[in-house]
Amino acid sequence: MPDIALQRSGLSRERRDALLGLLLIAPTVLVLGAVIVYPLLSAIALSFQSVYTPTLEGHWVGLANYRELLGSGGFWAALLTTAIWTVGTLTLQVLIGVAMALLLHQNIIFRSLARSLVLFPYFLSTVVAVLVWRWLFNDLYGIVNHALMAAGIIDAPVNWLGAMPNAMLSIMVVGAWKFFPFVVIAVLARLQTIPEALYEAARIDGAGPISRFFDVTLPQLRDVLTIVILLRTVWDFKEFDLIYLMTGGGPVNGTRTLPLIVYQQAFGLNQMGMAAAYAVSMMLVMLVFMLAYLQRARKAAA
Amino acid sequence: MKKRPAWIVSLITWPIVLVIAFPLLWMLITSVKPAAELFSTSPTLLPKAITFEHYARVLQDTPFLQYFANSMILATSTTVVVISISVLGAYSLVRFAYPGRETLASLVLFTYLLPSVVLISPLYLMLVSIGLANTLASLVIAYTTFALPYALWLLRSFMAGIPQDLESAAMVDGASRMGAFVDVVLPQALPGIISTALFTFILAWNEYLYALVLVNSDEARPLTTGVMTMLISAFNIEWSLLMAASVLMSVPLIIIFAFFQRHLTSGFGAGGVKG
Amino acid sequence: MVQVVFEKVSKAYGDTVAIPGLDLTIESGEFVSLLGPSGCGKSTTLRMLAGLEQPSSGSIRIGDRDVVNLAPAARDIAMVFQSYALYPHMTVAENICYPLKKRGVAKADRAIKLAEVAALLQLEPLLARKPGQLSGGQQQRVALGRALVREPSVFLLDEPLSNLDASLRAHMRAELIELHRRLGKTMVYVTHDQLEAMTMSSRIAVMRAGELQQFAPPDEIYNRPANVFVAGFIGTPAMALAEGSLADGGGHLVVHVGPLAVALPYAAAARPAAVTVGIRPEDVLVGEGPWQAQVRLVEPTGYETIVALDAGGLALTARVPGSNALRVGETVAFDLRRERIHLFDKSDGRRWEPAGR
Repeated sequence: MPDIALQRSGLSRERRDALLGLLLIAPTVLVLGAVIVYPLLSAIALSFQSVYTPTLEGHWVGLANYRELLGSGGFWAALLTTAIWTVGTLTLQVLIGVAMALLLHQNIIFRSLARSLVLFPYFLSTVVAVLVWRWLFNDLYGIVNHALMAAGIIDAPVNWLGAMPNAMLSIMVVGAWKFFPFVVIAVLARLQTIPEALYEAARIDGAGPISRFFDVTLPQLRDVLTIVILLRTVWDFKEFDLIYLMTGGGPVNGTRTLPLIVYQQAFGLNQMGMAAAYAVSMMLVMLVFMLAYLQRARKAAA
Repeated sequence: MKKRPAWIVSLITWPIVLVIAFPLLWMLITSVKPAAELFSTSPTLLPKAITFEHYARVLQDTPFLQYFANSMILATSTTVVVISISVLGAYSLVRFAYPGRETLASLVLFTYLLPSVVLISPLYLMLVSIGLANTLASLVIAYTTFALPYALWLLRSFMAGIPQDLESAAMVDGASRMGAFVDVVLPQALPGIISTALFTFILAWNEYLYALVLVNSDEARPLTTGVMTMLISAFNIEWSLLMAASVLMSVPLIIIFAFFQRHLTSGFGAGGVKG
Repeated sequence: MVQVVFEKVSKAYGDTVAIPGLDLTIESGEFVSLLGPSGCGKSTTLRMLAGLEQPSSGSIRIGDRDVVNLAPAARDIAMVFQSYALYPHMTVAENICYPLKKRGVAKADRAIKLAEVAALLQLEPLLARKPGQLSGGQQQRVALGRALVREPSVFLLDEPLSNLDASLRAHMRAELIELHRRLGKTMVYVTHDQLEAMTMSSRIAVMRAGELQQFAPPDEIYNRPANVFVAGFIGTPAMALAEGSLADGGGHLVVHVGPLAVALPYAAAARPAAVTVGIRPEDVLVGEGPWQAQVRLVEPTGYETIVALDAGGLALTARVPGSNALRVGETVAFDLRRERIHLFDKSDGRRWEPAGR
């Protein structure tokens, strides 16, 4: 064992310990360095080049990619689209997530079955989720249209995925369906740690259920929600699979978010350098958001 | 907690649960409906007849089984590699003191939030240059980019929850540092390791983008891209087969979910959400 | 039989100095308690002895070896933790045998030792259970068993009784005393409970803020506390402490404290200017005496009554035998056992004894 070898080396115990610690984390550092750090730096380097994907030949272009990116309407439109998508689906995820967590926290019949059914979408493959929803939204045979027509809400089948704003709304709904269980799990776990005594004290003080929710539950949920919102925002912002498979970015780039542009640039237009420039810009936007968010959260907690 | 079941809340909750579960139920129902029923303009809620022909066709007439095998190998290999590395790494982050430890921990958190799209181009270039393009190995390498930080973060939380006294006792009793790790920490961390392994498996099983970019031959293609390519062409979408394939694709997930749900969701409580 | 020596041992965490410099020699076969309020450094000291923490400087010797650079496993010690630290996934038998396994003891020998220890601590019916299925007292005995099985030179115990309820604690105290008598091994015991320290130790090391206050047998700690802190820390109810001064009362010492002037049967020679005066409750005699006090609080404990007195601004506590008819607000006469009054130099808090004491 490596630690016994270290023991004989004559180093002080603290040094030996530190070395062992470094040894244990070395594989992690190596792997992360190889598959994340190195590619990340490469991506930044790539963004200053123009590379033709099929042949992988490229040359240096300096800031030309960025100039083109910022000048084109494409980047800003995609940024707006991504923002709309993120805010929309995030709001749904949080609202539905918190609501379901509150409901599942109660002693309902067949509670574990209900929990399983509610949580399952999160663990499903995005491919499966998309296929199912595309089938549901199918204009001719989809049950959504049929149900709505049967209920008299609409007269003719709606094109859910091929027209705006339907497409954006559709992906928001599917995104919410797929990812809200994350919110449920986190909030439910937190709810289960709130001491019953707090509610009892509130009840004695005369608080009804609504004010108990706002005065006892919500403040307790604050830290969880802060983290959950941060994580979900970041993850929704960078979501590729769901949007690509649902709408491909259409109709007419109506749902083309930044991740999709990156992919299209790299493998559709065969411009890897440009794709990298888009990717780096996207990362910068996310970084700014994360820092701003964390700062605000820290101030709020203080 | 209240002992009496909350009937009113149940009446509100269950309809919502059924609405949420509906798409999956519909997927199941669709997969056993004969094609004629499927494509009528007035679809039925419950099938008038049940058929398994779609399943048969998916299994026999398409490369589905090849894709399934690929996904299995892929997800299992990724899980083994990731767990081996992250168990040691998490232990290091939690129990040792060395310069740069906190920075490393923050870096791990940062990579957790990194968009995959940023890495696809350089990873593609890198894997092509070392001759691994279009192989399952390339996917295993790619999947560790997102699975490893996640596993590290989860395991770190699990291990931090193990009382340090246990390792101290083991060391006083005669174990070396790593001996204490094997005798005491690993058995205690086992539920956490199982959780993390299951999570990693699911992440790898469900991954799409890297498979899309890095592999385009059937030998190495996993289910996610496989199902999309084989059944969707410009002219025709074979919905019936797609639904059957979707159900089959989800079988491992259903099994894991049915038996290990507690393990999966404890991961969130412990580490998935902590900052 | 081994001696344990701390020589100039210090411990600092970054800029915070937890232990400035500790010199302590524990003789072979002693039962020494490290006693003090939380944060006084007693646990840190024990952990440094165990090898679970590294001193910033100084040397620690067990027997004739300097162990500072040795892993815990190499120090020939055993430790009982406050949380017992039993391995949850192993049975009681496996827990106890673990140290033997780590030393490479053969299976047959392990079984023999296990049987010995199990018989000694009455653990036989529990051997197949897991720690989670045991009560606090049982877990504690298993932890003890695990420490005993290896027959080390030194036993370390870190507040092992603090998680037990009162009656069990009393019982375990007796068992530990008996164990020490039987084995005769050097034992180092950390506690914040003075009763444990007083009843079990051959010597007590009182610590405060990382510094050793006094290292002496229990009765010396009780009857001749080395400084104000020790005086106030040891003894329940606590010693009454008040500011006072010493004067020459015609050749003999007079101590002025509160409104009292107490003549002491000692020469009035060289004396500190200002003193802190200490009087233990059992040395306050209620009923007859030259002074008067008002009764502030009466706490009957069954065997005796603890009475809080106010003698013109001076707060005293007294123990009055039996349950008597004293009432709050009453005025009583009292006397003091002159020769049992403790005096501490106010400038440094150290004990001051007049010549002739």
